[in-house]
Amino acid sequence: MAERYLAELTKIRDAVRQDLLGGRINLLLGWEKGHYWWQSRPLFAEDEKDLERLTWDSFCAVNLSRYLLDELKDYQKIGVLVKGCDSRAFNRLLQDNMIARERVVLYGLPCPGMLDYSLLTAVAGVAPEGIDEENGRVVLKTVAGEKTVERDQLLLYKCRDCLYPDPVVYDQLLLIPRGAKEAPERYKSVTALEELPADERYAYWDKELSRCLRCYACRQACPYCSCRECFVEQDKPRWQGRAYQASENFLFHLVRAYHGAGRCIDCGECQRACPVVIPLQELNRKLIKDLNELYGQFEAGLNAELEPPLLTYKPNDPAAFSEK
Amino acid sequence: MPAALNEKIAGWEPLVVAFCCNWCSYAGGDLAGTSRLSYPANVKVIRVPCSGRLNPMFVLRAFQRGADGVLVAGCHPGDCHYSTGNYHSRRRLSSFKRLVEFAGFEPDRFEVRWISSSEGDKFADEMEAITGRIKALGPNRKMRDARWQSVT
Amino acid sequence: MKKIVTADKLPVLWSHLAGQGKLLLPVKEGPTVLFKEWTAGDEVALDAPTSAISPKDIFFPREETYMRYRCRGPVLELSAGEEFEPVTAFGVHPCDLKAFEMLDRVYLDQDPVDELYRDRRARTTVVALACFAPDPFCFCSVFGIDPVSAPGADVIAHLDRQSGNLMLEAQTVKGEALLKGDASLLTEANGQSYGPALVKTADFGLKLSGLSENLKGRFEDPAWDKLYKSCLGCGVCTYVCPTCYCFDVEDYGHEMAGERFRCWDSCMYGQFTLMAGGHNPRPSRKERIRQRFLHKLQYYPETYGEIACVGCGRCLRSCPVNLDIVQAIIALGGEQNVQR
Ligand code: SF4
Ligand code: SF4
Ligand code: SF4
Ligand code: SF4
Ligand code: SF4
Repeated sequence: MAERYLAELTKIRDAVRQDLLGGRINLLLGWEKGHYWWQSRPLFAEDEKDLERLTWDSFCAVNLSRYLLDELKDYQKIGVLVKGCDSRAFNRLLQDNMIARERVVLYGLPCPGMLDYSLLTAVAGVAPEGIDEENGRVVLKTVAGEKTVERDQLLLYKCRDCLYPDPVVYDQLLLIPRGAKEAPERYKSVTALEELPADERYAYWDKELSRCLRCYACRQACPYCSCRECFVEQDKPRWQGRAYQASENFLFHLVRAYHGAGRCIDCGECQRACPVVIPLQELNRKLIKDLNELYGQFEAGLNAELEPPLLTYKPNDPAAFSEK
Repeated sequence: MPAALNEKIAGWEPLVVAFCCNWCSYAGGDLAGTSRLSYPANVKVIRVPCSGRLNPMFVLRAFQRGADGVLVAGCHPGDCHYSTGNYHSRRRLSSFKRLVEFAGFEPDRFEVRWISSSEGDKFADEMEAITGRIKALGPNRKMRDARWQSVT
Repeated sequence: MKKIVTADKLPVLWSHLAGQGKLLLPVKEGPTVLFKEWTAGDEVALDAPTSAISPKDIFFPREETYMRYRCRGPVLELSAGEEFEPVTAFGVHPCDLKAFEMLDRVYLDQDPVDELYRDRRARTTVVALACFAPDPFCFCSVFGIDPVSAPGADVIAHLDRQSGNLMLEAQTVKGEALLKGDASLLTEANGQSYGPALVKTADFGLKLSGLSENLKGRFEDPAWDKLYKSCLGCGVCTYVCPTCYCFDVEDYGHEMAGERFRCWDSCMYGQFTLMAGGHNPRPSRKERIRQRFLHKLQYYPETYGEIACVGCGRCLRSCPVNLDIVQAIIALGGEQNVQR
């Protein structure tokens, strides 16, 4: 895997170098290593020297499309490396008229799924000193020795049930497509919750949400949350109070999730950003599941031309309340 | 969670908030009144221009501040004064209702009805019915703001 | 005074302490470890690395109601917010303990003191826990913090990894009072000690001497133009950080009755400096990032004499885009091999 990544990185770097130096783009959004081998952070590359830091490995989880919102104010033309979810985030922004398609060059990177450091640690039992990857397995190297684990078991939550690892929109596809994936467990925890009695479900959410700091990082990380003024900060009327009360937690979480109805691309950036790991994707997926059941299969961000289910209707639509 | 979530206390009367669209359901309520039909005083009607005007936060705010049940009533699909408002609210409120249930509310806590301006009797019946269902369920404490009691 | 509690007696110790007031402990909560009020059945995680969120909320809660009001006819009635009860905070890591000292300076060492903070501080007994296996995120040594000692704590606890026994050593009068409990629970240490291993944390090659002075006059430094770019403005870094202490004040209720509370706020938020007229002196993430890091690295040291970071590593662990204080220090030239 290490060699594969290296070969892929060379390919990526060659392609973007040409465009950056040739002036096709003025900025490249990619990833670079942070302090640790398990962190790859956003890179804003303007020149050849910056490009030396470019990286591509199993930790490039951060969605870069969101940065376009700000960077397009400063740069005429921007290149972005997009994995499957990042490309759908791009479509999301495009559909919301937040960015101009012609000012962006998308380099598609079919994605192997990103790894979760906290899982690596949990599975290894101690903080691993490094990993090797080969043939769908990960070798965790620790002081106590090595441990080999199926790669699938170490994926970030957001990657475990990803349906579209290949970019759905791009100008150049730089790597070999991996093909659509099955995600049989995508709604597993949603269904399990649906089957609980109402009071138990309430107790579950009450407990999970009680951890919430209401820092709104989940919103900041989300590619559809680009409202100039979010309801949580709106002053008149003041919908969302700042107190740490269950009632305020529920209000925030139900409304945030609901604002994503038909818009959430299920990229999981919200949950990844959450410092206390609140299962936000269960709320998001509940909405995706219901809308699909009620109003037909729809995956947000697949095609920027298709109308999301809550922006349209059919006269003979079914209803989920007891009066049809 | 303790069963106390909806435990009844002596003398408790349900509070039902009904958001009624101006053109059909609110007029239906008027008709119920002029026809001298009675419906429980537990229902507090709030008039909205259209069921499509309903911000889901209205519903949640009602639960935060004491509602035991919430009803949204609008024109029958096809009869919207603004042509399509209730077609949109049908989709929105359907997914929202399921989300609210997913959060742990009983299905009867939040309902939607289509009531036209000529259906005074239906208006009265529905208000009677939802009040009865909420009475049977008991008080709602889910999402109730712990501070609300002390400021009322 | 030195006492030992054997591993099997720990649950008894928790109930014992919880009987005397509120007991706060690092507890497993879903996939995270949080510092929170212990209730029977909780999974205590003394051997875990630092809690996901710093324990600063022992003294500086996320939310704190400090006044209630009610109008009765022409009379305005005001009452104080909360009753304070005794608290035992058990298992505070040395870095977080050092951070308390930094908050103390802000909230106590000036006139007027912050009474809410003072009262919470006064009724709390702090039991620190020596570290034995730092997380890869820890870098407290950079700030001269010894991970196995805890000056300022009422009691310091050492966990013996083999047996799981706890050695408790009182360091203050309050600490002695805490250890005067039940003899069958707390046995005399009789000269035993759990040799605290030499604990070393990462240092990232940082060199902090002279950094604060050097930062003066670098408000317009080009480094700021790059550093902020990846920031999402999510505020996680400030919410998890033990030395961040900003708050906002908000009301709940209406004109006739309600309450006033304060709650955490963050300089990383767009509205933090938004003024009534609509002007915002920190209009973009650049100014906000600059504020956060200059506050930690220059303003705080200017006022109080040391950098407002204890190397707890939480921002390294939790920033969703890995833009942390080490990143900032390096970008500003705080590395050993950099000439300033
Ligand atoms: S990121 Fe997590 S803690 Fe922050 S507001 Fe969202 S759910 Fe709450
Ligand atoms: S809500 Fe979460 S999963 Fe959905 S688009 Fe936003 S960040 Fe992605
Ligand atoms: S939560 Fe809703 S209001 Fe806030 S930014 Fe997201 S979509 Fe907009
Ligand atoms: S530095 Fe990181 S944690 Fe802090 S606000 Fe920016 S993105 Fe969020
Ligand atoms: S700046 Fe980061 S490392 Fe320093 S005290 Fe705050 S959270 Fe911990």
